[in-house]
Amino acid sequence: MPDCLVQRCHCYTLKEKTKSYFRSLCLLCLFLVLLLAACSHEKKAGQSKIVLHDDLGREIRLSEPPKRVMALASSMTEMLFAVVDTANIVGRTQNDDYPAAALGKPVVNNYPVDYEQVLRLKPDIIFTIEGITPLDVAARLQELNIPVYYQKYEKVEDIFSGLEDIGRIMGREQQAQHLADSLREQVAVIRKRHQQEKDPQRVLAITWKDPIYVYGQNTIFTDKLHILGAENAVQEVFEQPYPALTREYILKLNPDVLLGDSPEVFEEKFFSLYPELRRIKAYQNKRLYEPTGNLLERPGPRVVESILELERFLYP
Amino acid sequence: MRQAAYFILALLLVLIILLLGLQVGSFESDAATIANAFLHYNADNTTHFAIIHLRLPRLLLALVVGASLAFCGYLMQAMVNNGLADPYLLGTASGASLGAVIVFFGFVPMTLAGIYMPPVFALAGAFIVTLVVVMLGYRKRQLIPAQLLLAGIAISSLGTAIVGLLTFLSDSEGKLKAVIFWSMGSFERASWDLLPYPATALLLALLLFAFYQKQLNILLLGAERAQALGVRVARTRWIILATISVVTGFAVATSGPIGFVGLIIPHVARGLMGTTGRWNLLFCAFIGGFFMLLCDLLSRLIYPPAGLPIGIITSFFGVPFFVYLLFRKNYNFRG
Repeated sequence: MPDCLVQRCHCYTLKEKTKSYFRSLCLLCLFLVLLLAACSHEKKAGQSKIVLHDDLGREIRLSEPPKRVMALASSMTEMLFAVVDTANIVGRTQNDDYPAAALGKPVVNNYPVDYEQVLRLKPDIIFTIEGITPLDVAARLQELNIPVYYQKYEKVEDIFSGLEDIGRIMGREQQAQHLADSLREQVAVIRKRHQQEKDPQRVLAITWKDPIYVYGQNTIFTDKLHILGAENAVQEVFEQPYPALTREYILKLNPDVLLGDSPEVFEEKFFSLYPELRRIKAYQNKRLYEPTGNLLERPGPRVVESILELERFLYP
Repeated sequence: MRQAAYFILALLLVLIILLLGLQVGSFESDAATIANAFLHYNADNTTHFAIIHLRLPRLLLALVVGASLAFCGYLMQAMVNNGLADPYLLGTASGASLGAVIVFFGFVPMTLAGIYMPPVFALAGAFIVTLVVVMLGYRKRQLIPAQLLLAGIAISSLGTAIVGLLTFLSDSEGKLKAVIFWSMGSFERASWDLLPYPATALLLALLLFAFYQKQLNILLLGAERAQALGVRVARTRWIILATISVVTGFAVATSGPIGFVGLIIPHVARGLMGTTGRWNLLFCAFIGGFFMLLCDLLSRLIYPPAGLPIGIITSFFGVPFFVYLLFRKNYNFRG
């Protein structure tokens, strides 16, 4: 065979090959387009009948009333257990330890979120609170067709209306209403006891010792203190709910009461580290108390318990 | 003559910024209050107490740490003859971080026998890692600078990876905050009890190198020529190395790994004083301290009361200056 012919032949097969590649590529594209169309069709098929707006103003669409539910925050798990039928709660996060029934539920890591486990448990809706679950996590869960409902509390009352919200969404209105009303009543009784406090005690609650982080003005803690006729020693509003403070700042605050640990632990791990702070009134008058960690931290149905505990510290 | 003027200027600037820094804090305090706090100290007056027991040690610690890092940076750049070297090349920073993180994550109690453990473990971590790096950079009874650099980078990365692993596995937000806060540096824990350690290390080192500045300058000519000129290269290198590890170790253990000061300030010092000035090291320490005080003051003014982490500020202000030096014509980056 002459050389040129060989070459042409070669060329021909090459062209043919390209052609066949091109053809299969086209087919693949077509397939993908069809698949995509099918997917979006499927999405449209589930017509959303229920439209909700959460505390952050996000829109949540549900095709039918949710049954299976879980929370991505420990306080929210407590809220759910207080309102929802226990059988419908499908999971808990690794930190949830209350109520005891929660311990029997499958664990979902909430930071970083174990998406696969969430998918396996198939909740119809997830409840969480602002600040615990980042918005991009919620967006990712939404992509997986699991809506996330945020609650946000500034006052103790917001927790109660949060309970009612959950009740409405989960079809347990009566139960929620009942609970919220009884909690409200208890708070009103406590508030009445301390209406006449002349000289409000100024309370500083420490969350971390090195660096020193405290409960800021814009936390529920402040409202709990108001109910008790006391006030948060931190009056300035910082951007973060739990600001870091300097020793000098705390010296200036000169709080009457310090919350965070038992006097022994405070002595060993706080005042030995910052001996300068021994000048504050709370230390001088030995008003150092240790609140139950998950009571003070979690804005849930046990908030009244937490207020009662604080009351024991403030008015011994 | 010009050099003497720079020296006096640096000293004045340090004094001025010290006085300014004393006025910034939660308690209102004008110049008169500060003068009173010094001259008629009243133990019952909390403002006086804050000035003398909180602000002053904090400022002095910033001064000492800034000076230490700049001083060690200068030594390091001279020893490896490379303008990109900084005092953390021996793994001090990652070793100290590792030590502190081990305590923060509860492998060791926070306080033992009344002593707060993070700085102690940070110091131990810094020394252990430095020792490993030096062993790797050592061959035929000689320190090989290039090998030392590579060993430092490798071991530092290992340390950082371990810190990362521990951080990732941590179970509480508070611990994370503590680690992050620590790793960006802070003078918030300064006290009169803490200050003597880094200050003594720095003063002894400055005194020692008052005698070694000449050898240091000759070393810049390269090991062979320095040897030919009668400098005992191996011994000098050992002395430099030991000094750097001790002084940097104390600085990092007390204040966390603060970046950029050790890299940039030596260049500034050489840019102003010439490459081989007689008092370069002392001057370098001075402006290092000044720079750190300035950064600390800014951090507290920008973000009261806690102040932005100091490491962020040093980078923000250090980097533009560094770029300026890069483009300045009559300064070359030879160490």
